[in-house]
Amino acid sequence: MIHFLPTLAEPGLLLLSEKVLFAGLAATSGLAFGARFRIVLGNILHSKKDATFRPFPISRRIRDLVWEVLCQAKVIRERPMAGLAHALVFWAFCAFALVTLNHCAQGLGIGFLSPRGQIGRYYFDFAAAFALACVIGIAGLFVRRFVVRPRWLGKKLSWESGFIAVLIFALMTTYLAGFFVTDGGAAARILWWTHTLALLTFLPIIPHTKHLHLLLSPATVFLSRGGFSRIPPLDGDDDFGLISGTDLTQLVSLQSYSCVECGRCTEHCPAANTGKLLNPKEIILGLRGYLNEYGPGAKEPLLGKYNSQQATFQCTTCGACEFQCPAGIEHLPILVGLRRGVVNSGEWEDEYGSKLFLALERGSNAPGLSSAERDKFIEKQALPIFNGTQEYCLWLGCMGGYDPKGREIVVALARVMNYLGVSYGVLRREKCTGDSARRLGNDLLFQQLAKANLATLAQNRVKKMISICPHCVRTIQEDWKDYGTPPEIEHHSEFLARFAERLPQQKTEEKIVFHDPCYLGRYRNVYEEPRAVVALAGDLVEAPRHRERSFCCGAGGGLAFLGEETGERVGQVRAAELAATGAQTIAAACPFCNTMFRDALAATGEGAPQLMDISQLAARGLPKQ
Amino acid sequence: MSGILVIQEERGQGRNRFSYEALAAGRILAGLTGLSMETAVVGDKNTPILAETSGLPPTTAYAVQHPLLKHYTSDGYALAFEQLIRKLHPAFIVFPHSYQSRDYVPRIATRFGQVLISDITGIETGPTFVRQLFQGKMSGSYRHSSDGPCFISVQAGAFPVDSPQAGTTTILPFEPEIASDAIRTHPSEPILGSSQTVDLGSAQRIVSVGRGIKAAENIPIVQDLATALGAEMAASRPICDNGWMPIARQVGSSGQTVSPKLYLAIGISGAIQHLVGMKGSQCIVAINKDADAPIFEVADYGIVGDLLELVPALTEALRAAGH
Amino acid sequence: MRIAIAIKQVPERDAQIRIDTTGRWIEVDRIQYALNESDAYALEEALQLKEKYGGEVIVVSAGPERVGVAIREVLAKGADRAIHIICDDIGERDALGVARLLAAAMKPENPDLILTGLQSDDLGSGQTGVIVAELLGLPHASLILQVEKTETGLRVKRELEEGWFQTIELPTPAVLTIQSGGNKLRYATLMGIKRAKTKEVCVLAAAELAVDAAPVVVLEQITLPKKQKSTQILTGTAAEAAAALVKKLKFEVHVL
Repeated sequence: MIHFLPTLAEPGLLLLSEKVLFAGLAATSGLAFGARFRIVLGNILHSKKDATFRPFPISRRIRDLVWEVLCQAKVIRERPMAGLAHALVFWAFCAFALVTLNHCAQGLGIGFLSPRGQIGRYYFDFAAAFALACVIGIAGLFVRRFVVRPRWLGKKLSWESGFIAVLIFALMTTYLAGFFVTDGGAAARILWWTHTLALLTFLPIIPHTKHLHLLLSPATVFLSRGGFSRIPPLDGDDDFGLISGTDLTQLVSLQSYSCVECGRCTEHCPAANTGKLLNPKEIILGLRGYLNEYGPGAKEPLLGKYNSQQATFQCTTCGACEFQCPAGIEHLPILVGLRRGVVNSGEWEDEYGSKLFLALERGSNAPGLSSAERDKFIEKQALPIFNGTQEYCLWLGCMGGYDPKGREIVVALARVMNYLGVSYGVLRREKCTGDSARRLGNDLLFQQLAKANLATLAQNRVKKMISICPHCVRTIQEDWKDYGTPPEIEHHSEFLARFAERLPQQKTEEKIVFHDPCYLGRYRNVYEEPRAVVALAGDLVEAPRHRERSFCCGAGGGLAFLGEETGERVGQVRAAELAATGAQTIAAACPFCNTMFRDALAATGEGAPQLMDISQLAARGLPKQ
Repeated sequence: MSGILVIQEERGQGRNRFSYEALAAGRILAGLTGLSMETAVVGDKNTPILAETSGLPPTTAYAVQHPLLKHYTSDGYALAFEQLIRKLHPAFIVFPHSYQSRDYVPRIATRFGQVLISDITGIETGPTFVRQLFQGKMSGSYRHSSDGPCFISVQAGAFPVDSPQAGTTTILPFEPEIASDAIRTHPSEPILGSSQTVDLGSAQRIVSVGRGIKAAENIPIVQDLATALGAEMAASRPICDNGWMPIARQVGSSGQTVSPKLYLAIGISGAIQHLVGMKGSQCIVAINKDADAPIFEVADYGIVGDLLELVPALTEALRAAGH
Repeated sequence: MRIAIAIKQVPERDAQIRIDTTGRWIEVDRIQYALNESDAYALEEALQLKEKYGGEVIVVSAGPERVGVAIREVLAKGADRAIHIICDDIGERDALGVARLLAAAMKPENPDLILTGLQSDDLGSGQTGVIVAELLGLPHASLILQVEKTETGLRVKRELEEGWFQTIELPTPAVLTIQSGGNKLRYATLMGIKRAKTKEVCVLAAAELAVDAAPVVVLEQITLPKKQKSTQILTGTAAEAAAALVKKLKFEVHVL
């Protein structure tokens, strides 16, 4: 019969030989831990200092630490079941802090917390509740990893994870069993020693495995760059990006050691999901492997043994990886950093990439067309020229100025703005914002484009801007800050939503599925505004992957200008997903998404949903001119 | 120093239009200056071009002969014509602006301390010579301002050919002195650019098909047109995606970039990804049933209509014209 | 191999050009300049030859101070040093006058090979390279797409009309004028620009070269061309439109 006792059994006074044994084991365990941890810490601290790291504002850091680490918010939100299970294990570890401390003190004969004491009485019961939750959690995670075997954890079974799970299970069960044995008895002592062995085995394993995150990820979250896809400016004349170990900064090294190998980044990566070489988790682990083999300050190229150039250039910079990561790893600055390394040195030899760069070097736009084409468009549509008196400068961008579909979006928006009586003008000359150059890591070109454009905007006294392209909006608002002060800019969905009430309501039964563009959703946190516009025109339906989970169209990161993709086409996968909702119309808010889906839907043939930009949906209800 | 010397370039039966245009330009110049005309060509008295020359002036032709002129070299031709010019003392020397002329004429001009006024499209009173600047965006009028001979070369197609008339030309032989060590370059026989593999990049004529074709079964109609034109086939991305044409024939941002003399866009709307691949074409012809298709904005010639009717009609028209 | 390349800085292809008040040239105030397109291919060929056979690439250009920007661009892409012939009246000189400057500057360098672009994007006379060859008494070949070194000199691939090609063997030193499209161009890089800062640019005044500057050919006036490009839509029945198109292609475009 099992008696549940109200108090935890203690092992009783330990013999001197036991204390000596404990001390010896603890010392060995500690030294083993230290030996490895010292190397990891050394690799991190001996990396280059981050030139732009600012500890302040510290409130953001504290808030992230509390929310993401203590509350496990991202862990739970993005994978609810497994996340909750992990959270329980984590909180148990936190709750066990004093238990573990006391346990070790007991080993040396100086235990300070008694189950019969004032605090102990409540504390040990409190810890027991967490222990129980932890047992359930860890058992569930074990089953998930070894029985269910989700794809994102990788094909190879991780025996290391299994072993750790067993250790944690042992720690918790040996603790809980202590409520069922007699105080001071042999059983209690056996439980105590089992718990000790489990603990002292666990400790040195930590720095050798992904369980480093126990120690590192709170620091990683606290010290993160913040924002989203925050690409650091180059540091001085000799910085060309992440070329070799000497370019890895402390933050990057810290992040590479913090990876818990959960595979959430890979699960949501459009490249990894369509059979490409790129796997965001492997990029981070590749850096870790590099550091483990060569250390910081090594001259070997980062894109060599552990990571490949090919994979690096398959990234659309959609940000699903960085958005997901519960350990605080920021993938995008790393990916762009790796690209910078081979582009700023000219080592990247790609036919289409060179063509794009040369088109931007010699001309004003990414497709490499004559600016006379844009002039003709402006003239034909009688778009007003910005002269400083209008409220908005309508930025056309490369797509709005040169792409037939992009132009349709501009024309629709212009109609709506005319209807609303909002004044706007377009610039005579625009240069490409440099988004593709920036994401591909060409700092020379990006700098030239940003500076030239900032000068034009200043010359024309532009105060407020509106654009149809989320890439332009992001690049102008955030990336140009490296070279000056850009005017304020908003995306046309934000503008249209503000005027939603004044736009004619012509709601129909039509089912419209909205696709969240990466650069509007995850990058800018704009989800409601375009939906408000869609709701004016029809019945909004959601794709399975929507809002922050939206699946990229495949055009970002400069990829729209590079050659054919290998494997499945990202755009086709997403178009199929959108079409499968049964909607009659796909609503887009980005000219690049529009282009990618247009091609994909063309291949589908008859019966495909129609594709419209939200500006066209808004303009649909306007009185005919 | 007087007279106009027109240098012709023998290219084979029925392929000497360029030289006739140079003669026509020479006649215009003669009309403006009142000078007499003569002509010359590398070859012997049986050289076809001399027989094809019309009965209009010039009535004297020099057949420039030398064993070392059998194959064109810049050194050989420069020496030969330099000597002829020193013998005849023309005030003007007119060339067709062919690859060959561009190669050797500047050497001769330099020997006389002159500069070739190249690729002219018009001759006006003065005489002043009109040529294109800034890739055709501007026209410039040039005047020759020195005492020596004036060298000009005429653009293909700029001067209409005069209709032939009955008459005879006196052919005089001219044998220049050329030492064998004066020829420093050694050319091979001309080789045709690869026609085995699909090399759209060097194709001079391309017929390209887009979504307007509707079905794979219709592609042979366009193939017939390409054959009649002696053109390569190409396609926009959706056609290649469907497997109706091989990927090697895809033109566009993720396919090939082409700049042929003639690009026929059949059933292609003109989306930007396709445009960037062919905007460098010298002459773009578009056939599309949608009058608002963006392709018409970049086309030099367009026909709005059903390609299933227009393409066979065009093939027929080409065959009737002898292609 | 010591390779000298002559480059020209021309108005950007995309520039909006307007005739100035004298009617003899374009307004230069707001013009952006760029490296001449076929010169970029000449540079690429030179750099590839250097990478293959070793040696140095010297870039030479004549013009006002602004030409320094194009020179630095070329140094950034990999040329080793430069000679800038400062000449404020470069626009007044004809092709012979410019070639005289270039030849005079290149002669003391004794290059094994001189490369120029085929023709300039602004004037398009297409002769400067050939004239330099004549002035220096060197053999030349024009419209070149590929260059190879051989035991006796060079073997080059020349473009002929209508899709034909030929190879030419010639001894060095020689001059080649390079056609666009023969190689894939390299893009400008940050590293290149930073390295260019320490490369030597020798500045000469045109007067120092003591060449004859009087032009024999003068550009008197520039005007807008009479024919503007516009789309001709052919109408009628299928047969009529087809026949009309064939006529146009034959007699207007001269492509049949």
